[in-house]
Amino acid sequence: MWFVRFVTSSIGKKLVMAATGLLLFLFLLTHAAGNATIFMSSAVFQDYADELHSHPLIVLVFSSALLAVLLVHIGVGLYLFYENRAVSNNRYVVSKRVVKNSLASATMPYTGLFVLLFLVIHIFGFTFSPKDVPISSTVRDMLSNFFYALFYITAFIALTFHLSHGLWSMLQTFGVNHPRYELFIARLSLVLPLFFFLIFGGIAFYFMTGLGANY
Amino acid sequence: MSSSINLTLKIWRQPHSDALGSLETYTLDHISTDMSFLEMLDVLNEKLTKEGKDPVAFDHDCREGICGMCGAIVDGVAHGPEKEVTLCQLHMRHFKSGDTLVIEPFRSRAFPIKKDLLIDRSALDRIIQSGGYVSVNTGGTPDGNSIPIPAKQAELAMDAAACIGCGACVASCPNGAAMLFTSAKISQLALLPQGQVEGKERALAMVAQMDSEGFGNCTNARECEAVCPKGISIRNIARLNREYLTAVLSEG
Repeated sequence: MWFVRFVTSSIGKKLVMAATGLLLFLFLLTHAAGNATIFMSSAVFQDYADELHSHPLIVLVFSSALLAVLLVHIGVGLYLFYENRAVSNNRYVVSKRVVKNSLASATMPYTGLFVLLFLVIHIFGFTFSPKDVPISSTVRDMLSNFFYALFYITAFIALTFHLSHGLWSMLQTFGVNHPRYELFIARLSLVLPLFFFLIFGGIAFYFMTGLGANY
Repeated sequence: MSSSINLTLKIWRQPHSDALGSLETYTLDHISTDMSFLEMLDVLNEKLTKEGKDPVAFDHDCREGICGMCGAIVDGVAHGPEKEVTLCQLHMRHFKSGDTLVIEPFRSRAFPIKKDLLIDRSALDRIIQSGGYVSVNTGGTPDGNSIPIPAKQAELAMDAAACIGCGACVASCPNGAAMLFTSAKISQLALLPQGQVEGKERALAMVAQMDSEGFGNCTNARECEAVCPKGISIRNIARLNREYLTAVLSEG
């Protein structure tokens, strides 16, 4: 069947990674937009959270779909990682990478797995936090812990690297590579990951340094 | 003015496909800097033959950078440190006296080593055989201008057609993928009206063959493009991805 042939082919698996990556990227946009309310005040953030959770069905359907997308991205990613390792592990006595700035592309599986570790901790810390404590207090209490916030910032650095190769790679996989857009795409795959780093990392920094003590 | 250099070579020696190989060290003195890398290996082999030893087996044919036969990994880089040259067009003036060079064969799961630096690249030939051609019923010579092709399009097709199939892209890919090769062979035809007729079947057949040969999966690491002696761009890989996606969604 064409679909089976498609998803089992090398390019098909790349396209699955690119498509799920795009969906996860779009989720990050919504998440960053919502969390940015923290910078306004605890009341605004609490209002946003209450409003969102006053529609449990939206949350349930959205997070189930998100989980499915995430599992596919991780599953296919790990499968490709092991498949590629079987082909190419330790091929040469002397090996050297010619491409400059290959750090992001060379570390994709590791930055991805680190972000996964972060996700597990993040979800247990916030999504399954005690229901009787308002989320706006949980955020402040958790991230006021210096090492907890430091771990968050480290994870966001890994995410920034992951996205900087991921965004460009996604477009390349979709076949978007043209001299006219080359500079634009290069800038975009630097600016957008940094934008996420500023918002998400900014929140952790805000509480870690005590700037948000009276938020 | 020509000068000469002294080198220490560490070369991968492997008697046959199933034997275990290892790096052997050789010293070579008074190598003219005007020699090509393969001529330097010729000098070594002459020396080994005179000593009654087995010469180093390596691939070579035209020695002018157009046939795609030669190639080895020199100090971790396919075709050596110079950009856009094959091993036969790399000259010894790019090395210094006293250098130690590690020379290894192109490696891939799909490229079995036959002997020393000699490898079997027929996996690439089988990718071409699976669809890298245009089927035509030959008749009289067609008029040159019967199918007008924009000059830019023709140039792009020629750029892709510059691929000599040496396998440096596969050897340098962190994942051992053959995407740059396959994409060049698909692009040279997909860019021209004569090739577009069989475009979908070609994309499906060549990708299926590429996957079945045991090459890895592309992760857009760009190493292939950086070592390609013909400067084939990964823009061709983007084109292959587009060709394959359209083909898989609409063929049959």
